[in-house]
Amino acid sequence: MPGERRLRILARLTGGTSGAETSRLCRVCADITGMSGAGIMLMSEAGPRGSLCTTDEVSALIEQLQYDLGEGPCLDAYRLDRPVLEPDIRRPVVPRWLAFSGPALGAGARAVFGFPLRVGSVRFGALNLFRDRPGTLDADQHADALVMADVAAQSILLLQAGAPPGQVAAELEAGADFQYVVHQAAGMVAAQIDVSVGEALVRLHAHAFSHDRPLTDVARDVVGRVTRFDESDGATGSPG
Amino acid sequence: MHKETLLARTLVKLADTLVDDFDVVELLTLLTDRCVDVLGVAAAGIMLAAAEGDLRVMASSSEAMRVLELFEIQAQEGPCLDCYGTGAPVANPDLAGGDHGWPRFGAEAIAAGFRSVSALPMVLRGRVIGALNLFRVEPGEMANVDLESAQAFADVATIAILQHRAAAEAQALNDQLNQALNTRIVIEQAKGMVAERQGLDMEQAFGVLRNHARSHNLRLTDVATGVIGGTLAVADLDRARWPQAGRRSNRAPKRSS
Repeated sequence: MPGERRLRILARLTGGTSGAETSRLCRVCADITGMSGAGIMLMSEAGPRGSLCTTDEVSALIEQLQYDLGEGPCLDAYRLDRPVLEPDIRRPVVPRWLAFSGPALGAGARAVFGFPLRVGSVRFGALNLFRDRPGTLDADQHADALVMADVAAQSILLLQAGAPPGQVAAELEAGADFQYVVHQAAGMVAAQIDVSVGEALVRLHAHAFSHDRPLTDVARDVVGRVTRFDESDGATGSPG
Repeated sequence: MHKETLLARTLVKLADTLVDDFDVVELLTLLTDRCVDVLGVAAAGIMLAAAEGDLRVMASSSEAMRVLELFEIQAQEGPCLDCYGTGAPVANPDLAGGDHGWPRFGAEAIAAGFRSVSALPMVLRGRVIGALNLFRVEPGEMANVDLESAQAFADVATIAILQHRAAAEAQALNDQLNQALNTRIVIEQAKGMVAERQGLDMEQAFGVLRNHARSHNLRLTDVATGVIGGTLAVADLDRARWPQAGRRSNRAPKRSS
């Protein structure tokens, strides 16, 4: 009965008082579906916005990888607007996420699942679940994850409803990583080589890719003035 | 039917309405009817705050209850108003006792055949959206277990109403969120440009942008957009009042760093 599922989830969300709203949301996502961890990413048509919340370091890395690499279960779930299920990233049925899978495995994730976050026709993110051992979601877990994604999506908009005009709700900012450092770095690179910030973002991505480094690390080096882009080979000073 | 089963069914019914395109008044009427069935109260009613903060009668289990609640709003005194005002439960075990501070409402309630009352807040994350009123014909306290059940009804109804509001405004709320995040990104990018061109750290760069916006009576977003779009040259920005940033400083810096 869908009502019972929803009730169980709502009771978990309304019960207890401690902790930030979104981190509790994430925790309930993982607990209710019996997963090792969960995270929520916000997306837009232009690409991922960043991470809203994660339950643990592995989930945080899974979201970071997807942001940096532009591939993974959350991005696919958002793009395809349907659940994306990978019961074993070591032996995937369909080869996919070639850059994402290695580091995700290395971090301890074995099965990963993405569920789109939407309210009606409005789609704005994805719920990410992972487990440290392979295996599919059973029918019950799958149904719980669908209701959970629905409740999470409504809860996020509900939190934003309380925000002052023009601002992101403080409850959504708490525990979130919207990758502001990447945008700061884009502004710096744009100034260094006199291109638009859009072009600078592309250069940052290209540099990270060609040096096999996480985008955020490159961005931090730019902001920390370790790496510059106005030298002859496009970027210098980056160690290693 | 067992009381427990009835309780569980009511909660499930309430939870189910969250998926459907539900009618708020219908949901609340169901809630007040179930309070009467399950909790052994004579009448139940719900008031919700309108946008301006005024309470409105939304649902009542009987016409007598509806009239009494309307009277409460008119007289501007009574348990529902107190409960909404404080966000805490209000109870009076004997309305004939007279020490409740609701002289007009108390008399009216007794005339309608009620002797005791409890009001429970409908509250989520510190936001009080209304109150649930429970009236009984006999004096005395309500059993704790019944109060807990009533509060569970009120809690689920509250989240149902709020989530419904969020769903109804999903497009607008998502647009707001996107707009707010875009604004933040443009500001971060502009900070980066200013930091690079003027040799500042990010906090100082933000100070330059904000200072320019304030002294020219512009919105920070517009200044940042101008910087990013090249319509506002970084060199033309007013310097912030940082010693490192440079020139004249007619006020002490806010931070020592």
